[in-house]
Amino acid sequence: MKLISKLTLFVTLSKLAVVLLFVFTLPYLIGGIARDYTDSYLRQQKEKVLDIIAQNGVDTYLQGDQSYGSYTMLKEEYISLEPVENNFNVDTIYTDERIIENDTLNYRVLTHAFLAGDKKYLMEVGKTTATIDQYNRPLQKIATYVLLGLILFTLIIDLFYTRFLLRPLGKIIRTKISNRKFPFNENSRPIKTTTTDFRYLDMSLINLMEQIHEAFEKEREFTANASHELMTPIGILQNKIENLMGEPELDQMVQERLIGMQRTLNRLKRIVHSLLLISRIDNDQFSKNESVGLYEIFLDIEEEISHRLIEKEITLSIDISKSVTLSGVNRDLIFQLMYNLVNNAIRYNKQQGSIRIADKMMDGGSCIITITDSGIGIPEEDISTIFNRFKKANKSEEAGGYGLGLSIVKSIADYHGISIELRSEVGKGTEFLISFPSKLIE
Amino acid sequence: MKVLLIEDEKTLAYEIEAFLKKAFYICDMAHNAQKGLEMLGMNPYDFILLDLGLPDLDGLKVLQEAKKLNPDAAYIILTARGNIEDRILGLDLGADDYLPKPFSLLELQSRMQAISRRKFNLNTQEINLGEFVLDLQKRVVSHNQNEVELTRKEFDLLSYLLLHKNRVLTRMQLSEHIWGSFADDDYDSNYIDVHIKNIRKKLSAFGPVEWLETVRGVGYKIRKH
Repeated sequence: MKLISKLTLFVTLSKLAVVLLFVFTLPYLIGGIARDYTDSYLRQQKEKVLDIIAQNGVDTYLQGDQSYGSYTMLKEEYISLEPVENNFNVDTIYTDERIIENDTLNYRVLTHAFLAGDKKYLMEVGKTTATIDQYNRPLQKIATYVLLGLILFTLIIDLFYTRFLLRPLGKIIRTKISNRKFPFNENSRPIKTTTTDFRYLDMSLINLMEQIHEAFEKEREFTANASHELMTPIGILQNKIENLMGEPELDQMVQERLIGMQRTLNRLKRIVHSLLLISRIDNDQFSKNESVGLYEIFLDIEEEISHRLIEKEITLSIDISKSVTLSGVNRDLIFQLMYNLVNNAIRYNKQQGSIRIADKMMDGGSCIITITDSGIGIPEEDISTIFNRFKKANKSEEAGGYGLGLSIVKSIADYHGISIELRSEVGKGTEFLISFPSKLIE
Repeated sequence: MKVLLIEDEKTLAYEIEAFLKKAFYICDMAHNAQKGLEMLGMNPYDFILLDLGLPDLDGLKVLQEAKKLNPDAAYIILTARGNIEDRILGLDLGADDYLPKPFSLLELQSRMQAISRRKFNLNTQEINLGEFVLDLQKRVVSHNQNEVELTRKEFDLLSYLLLHKNRVLTRMQLSEHIWGSFADDDYDSNYIDVHIKNIRKKLSAFGPVEWLETVRGVGYKIRKH
């Protein structure tokens, strides 16, 4: 879930919870407030009555009677005075049920015992609570509506504001994370934001990428230097031998020896070439933004390799749809991959053998290329190590090769996310299955 | 033809110089960029062979500077760095060719010849070879105005042997020239022999080809005076 959705959800739920809590506690709150108000009202009434009695005497109310009682028309309030024992003392407010003219009513009642002259009276002042309860329900309803409206309103404001606040984060993700490609060659500019957290995150990411880029550059530099250090002496030797071969008075024996040296040197050159190529691929030093038709690749390979097919009298059939186009690949590397496999198919083939190259589109848009030869095959126990560097499955002299061809194939395949499987039967032949994921197929 | 070789690896430079002198080039050497640019400013050269990995200045910068001093010369970049980017950059900056180290001196001469043909139009376009005439520009072999049909590779082989006439070329050298980095490891295989056999067969239908010699155990050569 995205941060903004989480935040919005949390804010909404917490607001809703608060409102619900408020709406449910509203009756109690209102009850409490009303009671407080009633109590202080009753006390005021009591003071008033006491004042009148203090000024005019208790007879103002009693008018000669033993006791006095009076209530308003709708029985909302009442007052009563009656004599009590002299030692009776009370001064309290409580809620009580009173039956007045057959109506049972809830009253908030203040009772107070006081001396008037030498007699003690008990005063009761009461006020119904029914009127208070009547308001509760509509109040609750209105409060709910108003608060829900407010929630909606603040929610919209929150949404806009969080969206505004989180905009730098989205920008960081877009520009620094999702669209960046290893090894982060292009410089990235800091995001403009006043939020320090985002600024910190942004700077950390920029620093991190710069470090990766530097490390990568060092690796690249190392490969270039290693290449230089290794290739220069090989070059010197090669040119020395060439100059020597050009001497007119060389006898046959010396010439043959020189050819032998040249051959060994060439072998060294090839190994170094292959190792550097593998290291360059592994270090991500090739661009992967070209498109290429598979059919064209195999045609090019056929042209490049035809002399070897003719020599071994091998029939090569290319059964590839012309419409299969790879994209997001390095053309030279794909060529090299296929070339090495076809080259192996020839090298480990029999005289008058055959090679069949075919394609098969799979569900989901991926594509499998099969290269099937009628060669000597690979023993079961060697299949797992065949892509390992310097492991040569077939060590026979006539087969030749130095075991790096398939390592290059493996590196190129890994680099592009291509998977390679092989089936083989000794004496019958080998089949390589090269699966291109759908994202490489145009 | 005057050549300036800017290469800091002295042993290599001397080998290249020795080879070029034998091929009748006049060759000057500079072992660093500064010296090289100095010499370029003083003398006119037809070819500049430039190593990219010089100690005092980046090779591509040297190329830019040198191009200002002598824009008409042909530039060939020699490098062991092997970056594809370097190659593209070098050619973009106006280099005429690019040879990754280690390279064959024979290949170097072949490239230089191709450039002089293209750029200076100096070399004779038509070369006599026994009763045959090779037109390197049109890439055809003819005998008394009759064209002998050779494949692209067969013509390449013949012209390479002709360029290095009177010198034995091994099967390995020939196959490296024809197939480049795709030349196979098993040099004893007879692709070259097959091609040579085809060339002989096609040519001898028109006239004698005794100038194309087989040197047993070594390779082939064209004898020509």
